[in-house]
Amino acid sequence: MYHFDWQIFWQYLWPPTAFQNPLIRNGLIATIVMSVIAQAVGVILGLFAALAKMSKFAPLRSIADAYIWYFRGTPLLVQMALLYFGFGVTHIYDFPDLHLGVTTITGAIQAAVAALAINEGAYMAEIVRAGIESIDPGQMEAAKSLGMTFGLAMRRIILPQATKVIIPPLGNEFNNMMKTTSLAVTVGATELWFGFTQVNAGVFKPFELFIVASLYYLALTTIWAVIQSRIEASLGERKAIEKSPSWLSRLFAAR
Amino acid sequence: MDHGRSIPKAQTLDSNVIVKAEKVNKSFGRLHVLHDISLEVRKNEVVVIIGPSGSGKSTLLRCINHLEKIDSGHIYVNGHMIGYYEKHGKLYEDSERNIARQRAEIGMVFQRFNLFPHLTVLENIIEAPINVRKTPREQAIAEAERLLARVGLSDKRDNYPSQLSGGQQQRVAIARALAMKPSLMLFDEPTSALDPEMIGEVLDVMKELAREITMIVVSHEMGFARAAANRILFMDEGRIIEETTPEELYTNPKEERTKAFLSKILH
Repeated sequence: MYHFDWQIFWQYLWPPTAFQNPLIRNGLIATIVMSVIAQAVGVILGLFAALAKMSKFAPLRSIADAYIWYFRGTPLLVQMALLYFGFGVTHIYDFPDLHLGVTTITGAIQAAVAALAINEGAYMAEIVRAGIESIDPGQMEAAKSLGMTFGLAMRRIILPQATKVIIPPLGNEFNNMMKTTSLAVTVGATELWFGFTQVNAGVFKPFELFIVASLYYLALTTIWAVIQSRIEASLGERKAIEKSPSWLSRLFAAR
Repeated sequence: MDHGRSIPKAQTLDSNVIVKAEKVNKSFGRLHVLHDISLEVRKNEVVVIIGPSGSGKSTLLRCINHLEKIDSGHIYVNGHMIGYYEKHGKLYEDSERNIARQRAEIGMVFQRFNLFPHLTVLENIIEAPINVRKTPREQAIAEAERLLARVGLSDKRDNYPSQLSGGQQQRVAIARALAMKPSLMLFDEPTSALDPEMIGEVLDVMKELAREITMIVVSHEMGFARAAANRILFMDEGRIIEETTPEELYTNPKEERTKAFLSKILH
């Protein structure tokens, strides 16, 4: 009969005691920061890829297609390893540590964030494109008939409307992103999951510690679900659009 | 694309000619929608285009501000070729920026209004003057308020389009187009999407407007045509079949196809 070690369980579940261990504290911070940066860069990459995909210029379309094809068609784990180890060994880019005053961003974290962002961009491209295409073509025509260029019309007329369509799936992507950062452990990035595996290596309590680790991720995604439903509610405020699902129903919704 | 033709004769710069179309052809795939269309619209003229659906009238309108590309021929607005420039005897599509600049001089009103739903009525109207014309915001707002008063919607200035009736939306759309101070207004079936009781309010605004600005109107509103049009063009199968005055058209249509069409729309 396995003896469940409640002491370890509570020590690492209860944040004030858990955060005394820098592996957990810094790991949690790293996971949040990595998620936010990777998602933000992913959105920007996705926007450009979406615009490239809709371009009149064929080579640009092909580049965007190849990008989306490759990064959606290969495992993120492999992309991350290729970027960090592959680029390192060939000296294409060595991912040197970045010293920023009080903190150091390791090469592993940089590579992990880069891989997460590039991968995310490929998924966001399709989301952004779907958002743009959901807008009535009459909007672009009206904007053009008023003398707007494509870029101005996109910025002022199309994207503000497409945002409402893009935000809900974007929120789901971010939920995914926070969990997916745990893959960065494979290149040695010191994020939350790395912290728990390290603690476990010392005490060997995988059952207790990994339940706690899962609960940390659950807390992150739950907090995000609340924030996301607030954001969506405020988007729908100005004009009554379809009521967005509550964060509770979102948590339990089948995806 | 067939633009490898000889240079057309230099345009006679008659400043009274606002629109000049020469032998315009346009196909969608194998469907030849415009067939050697030539047309001249003079300053302050109001031209109404009628014809059965699929006759090419909306396409012609959309070619005038280059929302549709033409396959051959030339269209000039205010003496400038629209959408293309000429080099060594060939025509090339103009830069996006130049096309945008030309479109800024041409107002367009759409069948389905196409107001910007994320902007208020006022914001819809000042959007292009501020961002395209670089009009100072205060001045753009003052101008927009004048236009709103003119179309009778001053009280709707802070509403969103979705809060307006179809007729009100179309009047805002007219004000939005006018805010760019265009020298030509194109109306693409402006009342076809409206409930019958709202058609009058839009036509009243258009009639008022017809006194002071050059207009090309695709519409079957014969009441409007009679009251405001200088000329009526009847189009069928991509050609201008008959060109006449409203009175002539009523009393004495020459072409069989025109007669057949009129008997359908005049009850």
